[in-house]
Amino acid sequence: MTTNKRQNDASISDGIAPKRIRGGGGVDAMNFVGDEMIDEDFIEMIEEQNPEDFIPDDVEDFDDGDSVIAASRSKWLRPPLESRLTNENDLNVQWLDIDMVAGPPLKRNPNRKKSVVAGNTNGQQVPIIRVYGVNEQGHSITMFIHGFTPYAYFALPQQFPAKAFTEKVKKDIRRLLDGRLRNAQRSNHGKLNEYVLAVQYVGDHRSIMGYETSHTQFLKVHLAMPTLVPTLKRIVEGGIDLGIPGFTGEIPLAAFECNVPFVLRYMIDMDITGAGWLTLPQETYKVRSKNEKQTHCQIEVDITYDDVVARKSEGEWNKIAPIRILSVDIECQGRKGHFPEAEKDPVIQIANTVTVYGEKEPTIQNVFTLKGCLPIVGAQVISSDKEEDMLMKWRAFLECSDPDIITGYNVQNFDIPYLLDRATALAKGSSQSKTKLANFSLWGRVKNSRAKMRDTMFQSSAYGRRSNVETTIDGRVIFDMLPYMQRNHKLSSYTLNSVCSEFLGQQKEDVHHSIISDLQNGSDEDRHRLAVYCLKDALLPQRLMDKLSCLVNYIEMARVTGVPVSFLISRGQQIKVFSMILRKCQDEKLLVPTLAKQGSAGGDVGYEGATVLDPIKKYYTDPIATLDFASLYPSIMQAWNLCYSTLVSPTDVNRVNPDKYKKSENGHCFVHSNVKKGILPTILEELLTARKRAKRDMKLAPTEFERAVQNGRQLALKVSANSVYGFTGAIVGHLPCLPIASSVTSYGRYLLEKTKEFVEDKYTIANGYEHNAQVIYGDTDSVMVKFGTSDLKEAFRLAEEAASKASKIFPSPILLEFEKVYYPYLLMNKKRYAGLMWTQEDKYDKMDTKGLETVRRDNCALVRDIIQTSLNKILIDRNVRGAIDYVKSQISNLLQNKMDISQLVITKSLNKGAEYALGLPGGKKDDYKVKQAHVELAARMRKRDAGSAPQMGDRVPYVIITGAKGAANFEKAEDPVYVLENNLPIDCKWYLTNQLSKPLTRIFEPIIENVDKNLLQGDHTRKIFIPTPSARKGSLMMFAVKATTCIGCKAPVDASKGFLCKHCVPKEAEIYLSKLAVMREAELRYNDLWATAQKIHGTVHSDIMCTGDGCACQFYRRKKVQTDIKLAQQVLDKFGR
Amino acid sequence: MFEARLANGKTLKDIIESIKDLVNDANLDCSEEGISIQCMDSSHVSLVSISLAANAFDHYRCDRPLSLGLNSANMAKIFKMMGKDDSVVLKAEDEPDNLTMMFENDKTDTIADFELKLMDIDNEQLGIPDTPYKCTIQMPAGEFQRIIRDLQVLGDACTISCTKEGIRFTVSGSIGTGNILIRAHDAEKEENSVKIEMEEPVELSFALRYLNFFTKATPLSAQVVLCMSPEVPIVVDYPIEDTGFVKFYLAPKIDEGDEEE
Repeated sequence: MTTNKRQNDASISDGIAPKRIRGGGGVDAMNFVGDEMIDEDFIEMIEEQNPEDFIPDDVEDFDDGDSVIAASRSKWLRPPLESRLTNENDLNVQWLDIDMVAGPPLKRNPNRKKSVVAGNTNGQQVPIIRVYGVNEQGHSITMFIHGFTPYAYFALPQQFPAKAFTEKVKKDIRRLLDGRLRNAQRSNHGKLNEYVLAVQYVGDHRSIMGYETSHTQFLKVHLAMPTLVPTLKRIVEGGIDLGIPGFTGEIPLAAFECNVPFVLRYMIDMDITGAGWLTLPQETYKVRSKNEKQTHCQIEVDITYDDVVARKSEGEWNKIAPIRILSVDIECQGRKGHFPEAEKDPVIQIANTVTVYGEKEPTIQNVFTLKGCLPIVGAQVISSDKEEDMLMKWRAFLECSDPDIITGYNVQNFDIPYLLDRATALAKGSSQSKTKLANFSLWGRVKNSRAKMRDTMFQSSAYGRRSNVETTIDGRVIFDMLPYMQRNHKLSSYTLNSVCSEFLGQQKEDVHHSIISDLQNGSDEDRHRLAVYCLKDALLPQRLMDKLSCLVNYIEMARVTGVPVSFLISRGQQIKVFSMILRKCQDEKLLVPTLAKQGSAGGDVGYEGATVLDPIKKYYTDPIATLDFASLYPSIMQAWNLCYSTLVSPTDVNRVNPDKYKKSENGHCFVHSNVKKGILPTILEELLTARKRAKRDMKLAPTEFERAVQNGRQLALKVSANSVYGFTGAIVGHLPCLPIASSVTSYGRYLLEKTKEFVEDKYTIANGYEHNAQVIYGDTDSVMVKFGTSDLKEAFRLAEEAASKASKIFPSPILLEFEKVYYPYLLMNKKRYAGLMWTQEDKYDKMDTKGLETVRRDNCALVRDIIQTSLNKILIDRNVRGAIDYVKSQISNLLQNKMDISQLVITKSLNKGAEYALGLPGGKKDDYKVKQAHVELAARMRKRDAGSAPQMGDRVPYVIITGAKGAANFEKAEDPVYVLENNLPIDCKWYLTNQLSKPLTRIFEPIIENVDKNLLQGDHTRKIFIPTPSARKGSLMMFAVKATTCIGCKAPVDASKGFLCKHCVPKEAEIYLSKLAVMREAELRYNDLWATAQKIHGTVHSDIMCTGDGCACQFYRRKKVQTDIKLAQQVLDKFGR
Repeated sequence: MFEARLANGKTLKDIIESIKDLVNDANLDCSEEGISIQCMDSSHVSLVSISLAANAFDHYRCDRPLSLGLNSANMAKIFKMMGKDDSVVLKAEDEPDNLTMMFENDKTDTIADFELKLMDIDNEQLGIPDTPYKCTIQMPAGEFQRIIRDLQVLGDACTISCTKEGIRFTVSGSIGTGNILIRAHDAEKEENSVKIEMEEPVELSFALRYLNFFTKATPLSAQVVLCMSPEVPIVVDYPIEDTGFVKFYLAPKIDEGDEEE
């Protein structure tokens, strides 16, 4: 027994816990209670002893010995259960997380009306689905759902005689498959008594692929465990003997619906949507007693799978339960010059905010600190002297507060792995720490389940490629705000600071991690400062989440598409559409084939995308109306009934009555909807109708929360509808179908051309209109029309008329809508335009720009500012002359180095491939072929100071400094802070030619002639400033001496004779005043910046430590003005002598 | 009022040519003593010092000190239009916006005049104080140019060591190493001889890229003078007869950082 137990411990402390499916929560829990199996009588006996105790209070197995924790516990817990729970009432739960374990089957059905437990009963382990959720009162619930088993379909040959499929044949096939599965099992570990539970013949389903399909008969195989499905698929696809005359020998059968994740399978079969409400009807479930409980949830129930009632997310069931959200942020004490590493650097603070959905203010705010810290208003400070104690206290807090969702900023890749790694590192240090921290990683809801980390690569066409650490915490969803922002918002910087200033109008102090160490080593007050900062970091993601309704949007997306919330976070777009298709197919008795993954053979199988009508580039001062197709691609699929199930394959075309189908614009045939309505059109129709409803509900919504939910819903519906087309075109996807995707785009092109034709034919002088209308541009789903009138009202009227008339010539539901007028409108190129947008006649809405540098990130702020201001002047003020003057003055400022350096900073992120240049392990030369400025700079910064240097994945800010002739860009890139400190000269001309000239030319080309000559060259470029770099080791400046020159006219003067040349001496007073003015200006600037920074960071009596480049406190500017004052003072000092 | 006439206009043209790759914009300082340019190159690694005394000109007048902000590339464009034997006249007002350049050719009796728009360059005057050097090497400018050019093929940095034996240029790079030794000797023609004056041996390492830029001044002078002392910048001096010079200063590379690159 002893040896056995040790082994068990070892496997846990490895951190590589056995796969959930094998280890089984049930077995673990048993071991935890005692080594021997406990019989039911024993359980019942304990149950009777303390029947009232239902609070998931685990004080006994958690001995922190800290009075603070013990006292706080009651504040952290969820609302207590009012009375002892029985199964007399219906239990409503909004579920959030789902997983599966293997465990022993139920002995008897908790539903007394049903005597048999569904599924396998021969005593071997069975899959048990665990669903975690919250009820209306905010109590946490785990549902153990029993009896659901995985299955797969395989298509039988076309001529297969259904009659021949006798019980005996079924038995034979079952035995055959069972034997093969058994043999395929490599080790004895986890051997089952029975692999195949049942074999069925299915004759009333068909394959979704094609209007005419040969797959109409199927073999349905039920299996004991979900992990067996891929093996079975491989075996059957390899060929099996069906044991019927004419069908002997190894006949390979095509697999259907083998790639559906088990939990999703269950959800689809039971019509359960993601994060929806489930009702457990009275007397169908059994509440577990305290001693039976396997989790820390307040309520635990057993139920069989078919007793769970899924509520449709409408009406009452649209509500959201009081979900608990924990936002975490940690601070680490890094060593000088190094990014914190869990192996070496301690965690010094952990700040937490717990919010309950629906409440405005956080329920709990606290911060765990290492060493003392002054009290903080509104938050509890829990200090510890030892790191181990702090970590364990935090874990106790996590368990008590029992969050459903854990959020934070970059928690997924930093905070969570760091805490886990840190505990592992500490445990290695001493046996005492090891004992203390033995239970640290027990973060899950399931007792004794450890948080497990693994590295994943996530790749998706929509979100790009990212490497992540994926941590599984049983029963809790990790919802990291950083990836959410990266996925859903295009920003120039994703630091918490800039994101918050963008969306919350709030700033935080961006403390560089090298300063943190000093604060930690300081006094209680210093640590207080750090704690406040840390708390803010925990609070901001929370606020962001509320402000952007992230949670609601994701919940609604899960409800609409029917996948668990965690799928939305960790998986791409496809699974959503796949889930919707599967659901719909179930109603229609269709089956989805499991296609072999086609590698990335993308290249030659592409198809023609959307079309763009050639733009007529010009600056239009007349109103330009925009006609848009509403939801173009979805409505095309509906209008022409494009679907997998309506596609007539080229070989079948001859056999199908030509009246039944229509050839699409590029030659694929789809049957009419009255012959057979496609799955995709049906899904789309439902989505779009639901969206209309959601939009209407949103308007009628009585509360703000309600409105947020409906808004999230309509957004989710829109996104889902649009992603259907992408799903059919994704070659590496679940079910690609290029005939559909290419037909969609071809119809799109057709519609665009038709619209252009219609408008230009109808609105002519010949037809009695005042002007000839002209389509000046069109892209994918919109056309821009110049009706010729200069009257805005008239343009509105004509456009509305045109839209409704044009819509009539197209089949329903294709709808051309008039949305907006651009007036004036600057059309620069394809996908590049700017205009003042009007949706009502009396007032313009905003300036709308597309494809311009105002949004692109690889440009410096200067470009964005100049472009924005010029456009404002051109479009809003209609002052072209003013715009030109403005650009000239900006260029002149740039060349005189009057430009603030933050305006010139360009940022690029260190992506994969840069490892080689940085000398990191795993870097391959092949991945880094062309030297990139930001990568080379990061490598150089690493040599200077590895700690403050950018890490992989960071965005590297840089400016371009002057270099020798022919020096490449990557040699000229430099860290802005380094530039400021050393007063290095910025290559202003580079900025002019490489950053400004192209975008400016583009904007001004349609307006003035010869932009190059009139704008970019001339007198305003002839005044320049060349700074003198400060001396640093090894540079020539160590040896150079500044020659004394006349302050007035720069002529060289003899230092001993004064500071002015003889010609300037008479003007001394005048010169002094002008220099004094320079000084005063710098001082004022300094004052302003300082005051602003203090205001932003809410502190008047301590240093501003913020170094964030995205922060509105203008770190670079503050740095620059300091240098300016110093120089000005030096000049003034000369006068005194 | 500033006015200066140089019979041999080519000298001025060569001066501008020699710095135009190194310096984009520079102030030409004119005083009673002559004209001079002192500035750092655009990457702020090396320093250029040019001087042409008043007596080098056949006519020279400067009422008050002036700083003329020149764009070297634009000035070089104008010098492109100068004939081989032309004399050149520079003219500017006291607070000038333009520099007038006149090219006169006595043989063909042509006078071409140009106006170059001046820049307002706000910078500080820098200079390296004169110090005695441990080693002074005189060698043919063409020879120096060839060595530097050749060694660039092999690497980025070149070690120049001066010993009794002679002067040695060493380079090593990814494709191999190179080593050129020149012994001091007297040649028939004075300008072809190599002379070394040495107090103690010196070995310093420099970026070849900059040395190569310096050799653009080769047309100005038959001989180049290299002055070195341990841990101070090298001086690459191209004397212009007795009336002026073009000097370049470059700090030696130090082992730990290659940041100057």
